[in-house]
Amino acid sequence: MNSIHDMGGMHGFGPVQRKDNEPVFHKRWEGRVLGMMMTMSSHLGGNLDNSRHRSESLPPADYLGLGYYEKWLVRMESACIEASFVSREEINDLMHGKDVWAEDRFAKAVSAETLVTQLKSGRLSARHISEPPAFKISTSVRARNINPIGHTRLPRYARGKIGIVTADHGGHIFPDTNSCFDGENPQRLYTILFSAQELWGNDKNPKDTVCIDMWESYLEPA
Amino acid sequence: MPHDHDTTEPPSDLTLRVKALETLLTKRGYIDPAAIDAVVDTFENKVGPQNGAKVVARAWVDADYKRRLLEDGSAAISELGFSGQQGERMVVVENTSKLHNMVVCTLCSCYPWPVLGLPPAWYKSHAYRSRAVIEPRKVLEEFSVEIDEDVEIRVWDSTAEVRYLVLPERPPGSENFSEDELAKFVTRDAMIGTSIVKLVDE
Repeated sequence: MNSIHDMGGMHGFGPVQRKDNEPVFHKRWEGRVLGMMMTMSSHLGGNLDNSRHRSESLPPADYLGLGYYEKWLVRMESACIEASFVSREEINDLMHGKDVWAEDRFAKAVSAETLVTQLKSGRLSARHISEPPAFKISTSVRARNINPIGHTRLPRYARGKIGIVTADHGGHIFPDTNSCFDGENPQRLYTILFSAQELWGNDKNPKDTVCIDMWESYLEPA
Repeated sequence: MPHDHDTTEPPSDLTLRVKALETLLTKRGYIDPAAIDAVVDTFENKVGPQNGAKVVARAWVDADYKRRLLEDGSAAISELGFSGQQGERMVVVENTSKLHNMVVCTLCSCYPWPVLGLPPAWYKSHAYRSRAVIEPRKVLEEFSVEIDEDVEIRVWDSTAEVRYLVLPERPPGSENFSEDELAKFVTRDAMIGTSIVKLVDE
């Protein structure tokens, strides 16, 4: 979807503000949100592409206005409410000190030990595919000019641009369909190298480049 | 001047809202709060740029390790015991006198957790995400890094589940340093590509 999250090349956000010795979490609740996201993952389909899509689907003003972990909170809340794990009213009531009756649903919470093991072992998005690569290393390709209304990982600034295949990462879960639980549909993933001049015009340094990872269906021969 | 809200103070009712959600999910049996504690402990105390620094220092002193690291980042990094979520497929890119690498995620905040921990606020900021790909040299100037015009700047936009780690150049004058000593000089920003490793603060 062509929304505000697709920020590459935009102007107007000012200088990059940095702080030295920043804490990992600026507020205690931020760590609770991250931890909840991870422990709830198995109850919510364990789909990172869907989580990203939820953030992107926020109204652009909200996307810009909410803090980083606040966006995570919003997307997790919305997923938990949709799944009927909690309701908005219950959250509001508890926030305002009212008693809320919450029955035990024996939902098999992930233990600390299991979660740490999962965090350490990771979750591969690589998948075996038997189709041979459509594009060979060092060949020229064009990123397709597509504008899907759903989730996609093809940034706008690269669409229609010509680059060179520099790496073949094999099959990977295709986020465009996985994000809406429409199947993993693994496709070959490539790294494509673009010159800065191709992307941004001839006033850019002729040496400079940008590498972008792209699934096969994002590409056409050039 | 437009504001980037990623570093602003959140309203206090966020604390209450998060607490309410955690309480409900816990009472219903979806969550074990000890698991949340474990995640917080992992990112506050166990995983961070000190891990990536060990990888870089090893590559500087061990040519064979460096070759393996550049060939198959994930395998070489897990040799040192670092692996896991947001680092399942690692690619390590080497800075040289001709090439400076720099990493961004323009679409969200993808970052190699097992070697660098959670990203700093600036990495997730709208300013960095929007500008790194279109004007990397200006962004680097703001980080007090100047790269010669005839050195290629290569920006890696992490659009998939491949995570990138920059192998910075070993600083001149460090020839006699041990691996452990070297690791102390390797900064988080140098492994993102927005800094270079120096032996003294300037």
